[in-house]
Amino acid sequence: MNAHPQFHLHKVELKPKDYKTDTPSFWCAGCGHYGVLTGLLRSLSEIGVDPNYLVSVSGIGCSSRLPYFVNSYKMHTLHGRAGPVATGVQLARTDLSVVVTGGDGDGFSIGGGHMPHLARKNVNMTYIMMDNHVYGLTKGQCSPTSRTEMKTTTTPYGGVEEPLDPVMYMLTYGATYVGQAFAGNVKLATQLIKDGMEHKGFAFINLLSQCPSFNNIDTAQAFKDACDQVSDGHDVSDLSAAMNAVNAAKQACRIPTGLLYKTERPTLDERMAELVKRVGGYKDYDLRKIIDLARP
Amino acid sequence: MQGITKNDLIIRIGGEGGEGVISVGDFITQACAHAGLDVYTFKTFPAEIKGGYAMYQVRASTERLYNQGDTFDVLCAFNGEAYNMNRASLKPGTAIVYDSPGDFDPEIPPGVYAYPIPMSHTAKEMHNPRAKNMVAMGALSILFNIPVESLREVIAAKFTRKGEDVVKGNLDAFERGRELAAALKKTDPWTIGTPKSKKDVIVMSGNNAVGLGALIAGLDFFSAYPITPATEVAIYVAKHLPKRGGTLIQAEDEIASISQVLGASYAGKKAMTATSGPGLALMSEMLGMAFMAELPCVVVDVQRGGPSTGLPTKHEQSDLFLAIHGGHGDAGRIVLSVESIHDCINLTVVAFNLAEKYQCPVLLLSDGSLAFSTQNVPYPNPDDYHVVERRRWDGESEYHRYQLTEDGISPMADPGTPGGAHIATGLEHNEAGLPSYTSANHEAMQAKRFRKLKGVVNDVDPVEVDGEGTADLGVIAWGSTIGVVREALQRLRAEGYKVSGFYPKLLNPLPAQQFEDFGASCKRLLLPEVNFQGQLAHFVRAETSLRPESYTICGGMPFTPEMIVNKVREILA
Repeated sequence: MNAHPQFHLHKVELKPKDYKTDTPSFWCAGCGHYGVLTGLLRSLSEIGVDPNYLVSVSGIGCSSRLPYFVNSYKMHTLHGRAGPVATGVQLARTDLSVVVTGGDGDGFSIGGGHMPHLARKNVNMTYIMMDNHVYGLTKGQCSPTSRTEMKTTTTPYGGVEEPLDPVMYMLTYGATYVGQAFAGNVKLATQLIKDGMEHKGFAFINLLSQCPSFNNIDTAQAFKDACDQVSDGHDVSDLSAAMNAVNAAKQACRIPTGLLYKTERPTLDERMAELVKRVGGYKDYDLRKIIDLARP
Repeated sequence: MQGITKNDLIIRIGGEGGEGVISVGDFITQACAHAGLDVYTFKTFPAEIKGGYAMYQVRASTERLYNQGDTFDVLCAFNGEAYNMNRASLKPGTAIVYDSPGDFDPEIPPGVYAYPIPMSHTAKEMHNPRAKNMVAMGALSILFNIPVESLREVIAAKFTRKGEDVVKGNLDAFERGRELAAALKKTDPWTIGTPKSKKDVIVMSGNNAVGLGALIAGLDFFSAYPITPATEVAIYVAKHLPKRGGTLIQAEDEIASISQVLGASYAGKKAMTATSGPGLALMSEMLGMAFMAELPCVVVDVQRGGPSTGLPTKHEQSDLFLAIHGGHGDAGRIVLSVESIHDCINLTVVAFNLAEKYQCPVLLLSDGSLAFSTQNVPYPNPDDYHVVERRRWDGESEYHRYQLTEDGISPMADPGTPGGAHIATGLEHNEAGLPSYTSANHEAMQAKRFRKLKGVVNDVDPVEVDGEGTADLGVIAWGSTIGVVREALQRLRAEGYKVSGFYPKLLNPLPAQQFEDFGASCKRLLLPEVNFQGQLAHFVRAETSLRPESYTICGGMPFTPEMIVNKVREILA
């Protein structure tokens, strides 16, 4: 089911490269984010998204530069604030397709307070988390998803904190679409992004993306080796099954990938539209009647 | 019952929260405004959710009112607490109407007129204990000539929905209160003057008036987080915005609310948030982005007592530093300040117009005193308002979102516009929006963004001058202090003083030339404001050659006209 009207109304035929701007990338050679960008460009092409009706929103970090490379309307906002800014865009113009891209520090540390509300409110957007377990733009500090033992510039003797699990977090807070992939697996990443964009509601996709410059533990090979795609028999509509799969993988020091959970629930904008209809919005709106209420 | 007509009467009603104190205040206010009197009210809610002391003060006059007055002429005490809270203000010449027999036995100070009314007893006797307040209101109406036909109409209108029995029960208690008071000998000289004629007005609180102004301006999107004393703006908008198909969202915090506002603004909508000082502090970073990315937005700050959590329910004018300079990195913004309920409507429309025109954040400063005060305002006809829309790209010329233009304003393009795709970014950028950190570009872009603000002073009535010719003393005031100064100056002029007032409504960019012109017409300057540091005085000293004498208070209450009068007398002695 297509969530976004413009997928029908403004369907275009463009190749992935047509969605790419000529702005030169500033990512390091070997960065996992290239895989995410490729996956996104392919998804846009496969769906046929009209770049004029796409708004790409990001916060701050290496990954948050991604909108510069995508042909669309876009906002490069503040550290941690991509989610609520994108919420404003989406609620203001429900005919737009909204994609957020950002990193683990941006989304789960400084912006962590917003994530539960994007999920529980079921804001109709796709949130692509480019999770490299490290702060790259500030040159190597631990992030909320860094492994405890990892040595970074701020944890020179190793860390003292437990990492959070992005997919478990989003399952818990009520995201209606949760998927995970290694960014180097462009095929799976593309499939999840495309499916996520077509999903009606808040789609969260965690893409494990190696940082060759500041994280020498979670290398491309390490991510690749640790990923286990959920079996064909996995019931994506079963929240407990998704949580169990994530837990089981964690016990085994593995990373569960693929579509973990997907459900249908009215989106925030749908509920608001229903409310407007219920109170007779538009139809008999007369500002004078509202002002008259204040007559003595 | 003959009394001397007093054009201007202040009645304070006090009692336990839940006893109907607020209702009586509302009824009297509505009735007076309905009859054509000017009203200015002030109330305090108990800090507790239930019970606690509630107070409602109504000032009614045949003349134009600008503030809540010095103190009350009449106290109506529903209980001992209300009496105790106000005992110190019972001066010779004031009157007290109180519940007797009640839970207290007041000592009546010499010169105070006392009217014991069996409020609780009568209501119980009538098997309608909740109508205690109606008995009290009946007594007040006859003692002080509150327009009785209007009161009866207001009571009927208010209770109609609850059924005829309820209307009758309340009207009966009201009439009984009138009979009880009629039997007493009226000894005080006060009665409210008879209004000359009815006026086409509405009665609103400052917070509701801000919400109404936003609706008139074409508000599409509102996001806020609850905070005293600004929450009522959201409550008003939440009730009415969905009717015009607009979007209202309660965000998880103030950072999210301003973020959502900017997202909606980028998407082409008129968007706003309303908060108080602590919320504005949290929004500071995003307001810098709004300036940098040139996104229109309106932020209302209903100021309260600070610093920190401070005195959340009390009045203060202490966010001016934050409003003008809060935030990092040399960012600009427009700051307006409201004097009255009328301003709360009109300047909110102006705020939207300026935001749309100049594509930058516009802050509107209200305060705790205006938030809950109600006043009558001439009926605002939505058609009389000039409403501005942002300049949009024509779709023909080559599009550069941040094109360097003569007036600094570059056309915007709503998402969905073919050829208009662009990035709104907090990074310094070139005309196309792409990151650019060259010194030449940064200087050109800063100059562009600040160049826009030069036009603002010509788009608004930036100041109002009250008085003509040379004055021995000029009083500069902002926010709700203006209304207090207006009345103080009227009294001082009646005493023969040569005094003028200067009331800036645009506080940033500061209309420096207007300040200079006013300063040149006064021998001395006084600047009263409700904050410790003298925040406006600071800006006036920094941006003009004027050196006003600062007069600051920060006790959680507004100035009274009497305080200003006394200060001026002292200075000019």
